[in-house]
Amino acid sequence: MKVSLNWLKDYVDLKNIKTKDIVEQLTMSGLEVEEFTDENEVYKDFIIGFVKEKNKHPNADKLSVCTVSTGKEELQVICGAPNVEAGQKVVFAPIGSVIPKGNFKIGKAKIRGVESSGMICSEDELELSDDHTGIMVLDKDLTAGQSITGALLLNDVIMEIAITPNRSDALSHLGVARDLAAMFNAELNLPAINLSESSKKIKDFASIEVKDTENCPRYSAKVVLNVEVKESPEWLKKKLTKIGLRPINNIVDVTNFVMYETGQPLHAFDLDNLGGNKIIVKSTEEVSSFTTLDSKERKLQPGTLMICDGEKPVAVAGVMGGENSEITNSTKNILIESAHFNPSSIRRTARSLGLSTEASYRFERWVDPNGTLYSAERAAQLIAELSGGIIASGSIDVYPDTVKQKEVPLRFARVKKLLGYEIPDEKMVEILKRLGLQVIFESDKEIRFSVPTFRPDLEREVDLIEEIARIYGYNNIPTISKISISLGGRIDHSEFADRIRQYATGLGFYEMINNPLQSEKAAGLIGEKIALLNPQSLDMAYLRTSLIPGALLTVAKNINAGEKNVALFEIGNVFNSRAGSSEIRSFEDFTENQNLIFLLTGKKTEKTWLSDEKFVDFYDLKGAINSILFKISLDNVLNDSYYHGENTIFDFSFDKKVENTVVGSGGKIKKEVLKQFDIQQDVYCFEFNLDSLKSIKTAAKKYAEPLKFPKSIRDFAFVFDKEVEYGEVQRFIKKSGYGLLKEVSLFDLFESEALGENKKSMAFTLEYYSPDRTLTEEEVEKDFLNLIEAVSKKFNAKLRGK
Amino acid sequence: MSEVNIDNVKAGFEKDILTVKDLRQIEDIRIKYLSRNGLLAKLFDELKNASPDEKPMLGKSLNSLRNEITEKFVSLKSGIESASQKLASKIDLSLPGVERTIGSKHLLTQTLDEIKTIFKGLGFSVFEGPELESDYNNFEALNFPFDHPARDMQDTYFINKDFLLRTHTSPVQIRVMTEQKPPVRVIMPGRVYRNEAVSSRSYCMFHQVEGLYVDTDVTFAELKGTLVSFARLFYGDDFKYRFRPSFFPFTEPSAEMDITCFLCHGEGCKVCKQTGWLEILGCGMVDPNVFKYVNYDPEKYTGYAFGMGIERTAMLKYGIDDIRVFFDNDLRFLKQF
Repeated sequence: MKVSLNWLKDYVDLKNIKTKDIVEQLTMSGLEVEEFTDENEVYKDFIIGFVKEKNKHPNADKLSVCTVSTGKEELQVICGAPNVEAGQKVVFAPIGSVIPKGNFKIGKAKIRGVESSGMICSEDELELSDDHTGIMVLDKDLTAGQSITGALLLNDVIMEIAITPNRSDALSHLGVARDLAAMFNAELNLPAINLSESSKKIKDFASIEVKDTENCPRYSAKVVLNVEVKESPEWLKKKLTKIGLRPINNIVDVTNFVMYETGQPLHAFDLDNLGGNKIIVKSTEEVSSFTTLDSKERKLQPGTLMICDGEKPVAVAGVMGGENSEITNSTKNILIESAHFNPSSIRRTARSLGLSTEASYRFERWVDPNGTLYSAERAAQLIAELSGGIIASGSIDVYPDTVKQKEVPLRFARVKKLLGYEIPDEKMVEILKRLGLQVIFESDKEIRFSVPTFRPDLEREVDLIEEIARIYGYNNIPTISKISISLGGRIDHSEFADRIRQYATGLGFYEMINNPLQSEKAAGLIGEKIALLNPQSLDMAYLRTSLIPGALLTVAKNINAGEKNVALFEIGNVFNSRAGSSEIRSFEDFTENQNLIFLLTGKKTEKTWLSDEKFVDFYDLKGAINSILFKISLDNVLNDSYYHGENTIFDFSFDKKVENTVVGSGGKIKKEVLKQFDIQQDVYCFEFNLDSLKSIKTAAKKYAEPLKFPKSIRDFAFVFDKEVEYGEVQRFIKKSGYGLLKEVSLFDLFESEALGENKKSMAFTLEYYSPDRTLTEEEVEKDFLNLIEAVSKKFNAKLRGK
Repeated sequence: MSEVNIDNVKAGFEKDILTVKDLRQIEDIRIKYLSRNGLLAKLFDELKNASPDEKPMLGKSLNSLRNEITEKFVSLKSGIESASQKLASKIDLSLPGVERTIGSKHLLTQTLDEIKTIFKGLGFSVFEGPELESDYNNFEALNFPFDHPARDMQDTYFINKDFLLRTHTSPVQIRVMTEQKPPVRVIMPGRVYRNEAVSSRSYCMFHQVEGLYVDTDVTFAELKGTLVSFARLFYGDDFKYRFRPSFFPFTEPSAEMDITCFLCHGEGCKVCKQTGWLEILGCGMVDPNVFKYVNYDPEKYTGYAFGMGIERTAMLKYGIDDIRVFFDNDLRFLKQF
């Protein structure tokens, strides 16, 4: 909200307080000044200039060469404005001054060969309005050389204040002034009401009926007769333009002025356009349409609170008036509405219309129900003064249930308990009184306040403590340098994932973080996707069901960027609706799991002077996975199952299972899938359900003494039928060997014509050892020979090389 | 076993050493003659079977053969070693080495790690909670009434009227307090979502770390002390700080913590929007209404909570001016950290 410091000074005496301190104090008390413009600073170098002469520029048709008198000297100035004339008083920017628009400094310049020492300014250049049609032409009586800050009253400080949703009371100059009064311990001066009412009674001109008192607890109105709608006086226009509003006419301007003064939104109706001179406040019962004063037709949902006359709706209550009753130049009699509406009702309507106005913004945050009449009277008084109208005597005020002030206790000891600091009791009471609270009971330990109804946020003791703290100053509360730590268990939910991250980076993987919001197609690749109700775009309309699509998108982007060799991992949550759940009504209807993905594509080694280029393959993926599982002690807990093609994502793949539960799977991604992501190179990936991995119980690691006795090593190679799988043979050998055969590994694998068609050779290394003795040649040889026979027989394999 | 065997071995050795040129061949010689299964060992084995009258004689010959072979072997080995060292001094050491790749954690993870390390040192546990949350945990129990303008502070992605993507990590506070009795001292990192247009300054999701401490005597002064200590450890000593009042429905009083801009040191620049200050986190004392939702006695317990954005923190620390780079996962970015 834009706030003018000069305006604030109408209500609170801030003499002798520096602008810098005011801005700082506002921010430090919770009314954050996000930006401010100090006109005294911005316009300090600009002066009134007198255009003594105007001549045509010798080299440019549209430019004039002017002689400008600054009172002290006469300067030659080039001006491009069409309206510059000799004899005018203008705003002159001397050399060295900085033009607000574009923030550029005026220097001596040559324009088309003619020297120019300064600039004559337009309103646009000074950021006083958008008007850039010509230069500002000022009152002839102004004195050349005078500073414009004084001459044009450009001596305000305009602040942009961020008002938090709890502080509806601060959405006005009076509200901000009240905080300032508390901060600087000054008096707050409310404008006095001095109504000179006519003998004509309001009852004879209008009547009001509120049918929906729940959504309209109070409706106050004043009537002003015989107004003349015209331009507002300078002071009023200035007040409004300073805070960024466009003056319209004296009636509308007053209602706006009062809203920014008190925070009460007002609406002025043309009384003669109100059918039956009547106001009826009621909610709609069915869908209807209504044209608001911005000439837009709006669709109204049932339950929309409307202001109606005797015949028709005339305004969407608290949001916007109707075209059919707005103030026009021929308006003679007006009714000023000043109401308190139910915040939720206004909020619902504003949302359903997609229309947020200054009025609805305030109503939905709460407008003081006990301030309506004051604002209506204030507006009536100003309108009468500015339009020559007369105020009908009395007011109409429908207010069946008075909103009472709340009583809130404050225990001094509690302040210290919460803040950790003692603030003198008198100081606390003084702060709260300045904020408009009244003491109703007092004892040594406790004091009870009644809270004005413009502060709905102050309901409890803790709310009062906050008021004390923020006005007293958070910075005055000490920053202690010692803390107490409770002893007891420490839990770290992220520890397991962090370990995986550590091992993955050790293996050369980079961590990615992908957007879990995906297109229907990406989220539809695997699993049961969940849709967002209000997506921002089709690209981000579903929650990911798996980490694979996001990873593939990242791979595609990197390949496009020239990064074709990729080793990536991600740990992130995936979401699936549970089978049979058409809708999410509880946490049982969907799963959210933390998953882990590893992905490899491209080369693992580049061609260098020492090595040939090599591409990653399935076994790199499998090896990496197993290395990680070894580090987290799950290598012996999980077992593999292999698949060839029975899958929509992978050409071939494998699962990691604990007993019969799959905890991860991966393999080589199908070409058709890659094509959807515009990837042309082979991609291998493996995805774990990290929550499942984490939940597997593993035995604590124990030290195993390094082997003290030598190993006996034997090798053999067999020719097998091609379809015989390594894993099967390996397991068979291990199982068939005697207890001291500890390791069986493959050291060679090949096919050749010499072996015959559909044959392959696999060569194994066998390691025999015992932790407590040296094995004899005889026992090893015996087992080795047995194995040769067993393997030959079991797999119909032929021993090679012997 | 006879003298002949001994002589054969000797002759074989003499012949073999003539062709030795490098260390590998030296090793072959060692294995062939001097190892546990080598020819000398075999001869010694056979000696056991020799007749008693032959034994002393053969033993003596065998010992002298062993000494001879060992001596020759040692001198041959050292000769070859020094030759190969000379050769080694001539290889082109300027050729590039073979590098090994160490991957990296995402910069956001690294930043979070730093934050976690500091708070774990201060005695905090680490809790996580789900991203797909109930409206109750995300808003209601945190004192955001239905239909309240405070909800406008956080543009929300809804699944339906009861479920949503959490807009902050604060619902984990509710989960922790529902599960545990005080004292509770915990940080809660995680991903949050906001339905805001994607730009260089905002993304549809980002990460936060939430902190919560509830016990019998927790004060605002302690909150300030803890957070200032954190900021000193994280950002260094070269800044001034301030706490200014703010509003969060689940804390009362509420505050935001600013530190002086470390680019301009408080002078005012583009990064701090000319204010000289950078907002680094929001915090406050846990609102008694929240305690009521989790059945803590608000008279007995007080607590503080705080929350900070990890992206924002990392952007400030590493001079990143576009939040989207975190989620593009361009390897040219990932490999930098």
